[in-house]
Amino acid sequence: MNKDVRSCMKCGSCTASCPSGRVVAFRTRKLVEDRAIGEIDYDDLSLWYCTTCFNCMERCPRGIDITDEILKIREEAYRKGKVLEPHRAVLRYIYRSGHAVPINPEVREKRMALGLSELPPTTHTFEEALLEVRRIMEDEGIEYKE
Amino acid sequence: MKRIGVFICHCGVNISNTVDVKKVVEEISKIPSVVACADYQYMCSDPGQDMIKKAIKENQLDSVVVAACSPRMHEPTFRATVSDAGMNPYCFEMSNIREQCSWVHLDGEKATKKAIDLVKSSVARASLLEPLVSQGVPVVPKALVIGGGIAGIQTSLDIANSGYKVYLVEKEPSIGGHMARFDKTFPTLDCAACILTPKMVDVARHPNIELLTYSEVESIDGSVGNFHVRVKKNPRYVDMEKCTGCGSCAEACRLAGRIASEFDMGLGKRGAIYVPFPQAVPLRYTIDPEKCLFLKHGKCGTSPKCADVCTTDAIKFDDKPEFVEFDVGAIVVATGFKEFSAELKPEYCYDKYPNVMTGLELERIFAPSGPTGGKPKINGKEPKRIVFISCVGSRDKKVGNAYCSRVCCMYIAKQAHLLKEKIPDADITVMYTDMRAFGKGYEEFYERVQKEGIKYRRGNAAEVYGQDGKLFVRAEDTLLGEPYELEADLVVLGTGLTPNPLAEGIGKLLHLSLSSDGFFLEAHPKLRPVDTVIDGVFLAGVAQGPKDIPDTVAQASGAASHVVNLLSKDEIFAEPTIAVVDEDACVGCKTCMLLCPFEAHEFDEEKGVMKVNAALCKGCGSCAAACPSGSIRMNHFTNDQIIAQLLEVL
Repeated sequence: MNKDVRSCMKCGSCTASCPSGRVVAFRTRKLVEDRAIGEIDYDDLSLWYCTTCFNCMERCPRGIDITDEILKIREEAYRKGKVLEPHRAVLRYIYRSGHAVPINPEVREKRMALGLSELPPTTHTFEEALLEVRRIMEDEGIEYKE
Repeated sequence: MKRIGVFICHCGVNISNTVDVKKVVEEISKIPSVVACADYQYMCSDPGQDMIKKAIKENQLDSVVVAACSPRMHEPTFRATVSDAGMNPYCFEMSNIREQCSWVHLDGEKATKKAIDLVKSSVARASLLEPLVSQGVPVVPKALVIGGGIAGIQTSLDIANSGYKVYLVEKEPSIGGHMARFDKTFPTLDCAACILTPKMVDVARHPNIELLTYSEVESIDGSVGNFHVRVKKNPRYVDMEKCTGCGSCAEACRLAGRIASEFDMGLGKRGAIYVPFPQAVPLRYTIDPEKCLFLKHGKCGTSPKCADVCTTDAIKFDDKPEFVEFDVGAIVVATGFKEFSAELKPEYCYDKYPNVMTGLELERIFAPSGPTGGKPKINGKEPKRIVFISCVGSRDKKVGNAYCSRVCCMYIAKQAHLLKEKIPDADITVMYTDMRAFGKGYEEFYERVQKEGIKYRRGNAAEVYGQDGKLFVRAEDTLLGEPYELEADLVVLGTGLTPNPLAEGIGKLLHLSLSSDGFFLEAHPKLRPVDTVIDGVFLAGVAQGPKDIPDTVAQASGAASHVVNLLSKDEIFAEPTIAVVDEDACVGCKTCMLLCPFEAHEFDEEKGVMKVNAALCKGCGSCAAACPSGSIRMNHFTNDQIIAQLLEVL
């Protein structure tokens, strides 16, 4: 745990800054507090409603790297097999294409209009690299579903 | 061989719980030069000190070693003790077996062995100590006070009332500082002007105070007891002797009511010739050279109107800066603060909306002499929904201010009360993070304000935003755990206090250090809060750290008492533990001069060697360590003394 989490002064700047918290039941400060006392409820899927916009981290007066901490908590949740289905779907994309957001016809056109190659120099161009990405995922024990 | 006495302290059980004191006595007694060795429960107590005095006389001791706490605690005590018994105080040596031994070790056997080594090394040094004599320097019985806010005013009055001459330097055209801007003061709701202006008038009338307004300190040389000060008096373009303060010039000025008034935080207007506020001291007009048409363009209509209407011929367009020089024995730095710049918190949209204002701006709105004549009007309308936001620029690492400003909780409570009094049907909410009502009568005032119907909701405001011509504040009520929004006609930012940027230059002139928060560093946070590490230089008010008016006045009186204490002496004695240059060996390379943080080294042109100003040298040793020819000797810390000490522990 990032020990700065313990320095939270419970001012609520994070919760009130959260654009996601305006519409869903995600309460940033509660997560920070749970973290500081070491009691994370990984079953509470609101954890996955953070859009990682970094508003809370930008404004935290105690300088706590809140968003970074949320990402760590998510990693722990994932390793316990607790993840929202749409997030799991991202893995599928990475397994298939090497990209969380694969290229689409619109982006292809834009690239060409800008004088770039149609495909970026990534797994889209180098298929052998895609095999390496898959190997990394397998080595890390990352599950995905076809 | 020198005859040395060694005295080992138990410090109650602080030392003896870990260190076997009897064993230390036994081992140290074996050293041939140690002719007296004893232990005692509390060496610093009267019986302990008497024991040392008696031993000095009975054994004709040349040096004394006390093994006890840090020399920072009791070195002065024991120096006085040996002095009483007729020994030179610099023949005393202290061995720290508490902070550097018993407190930091658990293994008693090893700690005892270490204590023996430490005491042995002190004995080795003590046998080489030489008597040193302090040089007396006469004291100039005058003081300089920098800054004419409430801190500088109180300091000056206290010093002057003790019969010493004070030069009070203020950069603004009037004294009064920030307090002059306030309407009422918490928690008693005294009218700030009613309690401040009598003191301002006292300053002006006091025969012992020479007031230098619209002036800046240019240079300060010398040291405690004998500072030489040079002050620049900026041109006012008005003859101070002739001006009667009648104000017809300000009315006549072509730019009257067209220039943003600094005193009113830009909310009110003034002319090019002005007084900052009606009760200004001195009540003399000043022409703003940046704005005055005549001074800027050499032309003001057919002729400058101010000069036309002035019946005493006081307008002086050819005024020049004047320099005054004087000597003082002590200096008090009372340079105050600057309100936090609210634009550094862009989420509060201070720049964007005129109905988002700072605490200091609202003070001017309340003030009868302010831009709205004391009526709480924002954009010409009475606000009905008001939100106060606390901790703006305080307790906020994002803007580099980790500290609490100590006044905002209470000034917000006061302002909320005043608004409620003026607009009884106003809906007022205070968004606070923690309430800090620590002073006398503060908690009671907080409760009173709550009972008046001010809503206190815990949680810091995250943002202020405008939508469809309306203003909203968003926060989390952290006690309910839910975010909420309030619509507001007026948002008041509880801006904190930051170091006065103009004080930086003063700090450099005086070689003062800053604390991590940027305010001036005191010599000791608890026991020497008004002293600095520079002898003869003292601190008063917010220059040292955020504080409210009662604390500022208390500290100002404290600083004044230290000044008077110093000025009441005919002579002061500087520590003789300083650097001494061996003129035969010095080649005049000036390495020491470049390194010295206190500018104590001077080059003697005639002899081509360096010399040390005994009054400025603090004995830090930087020069001695760096001298390529080894020609600088540190009194009391000579190479021989230090090497002998080291050899015993190696």
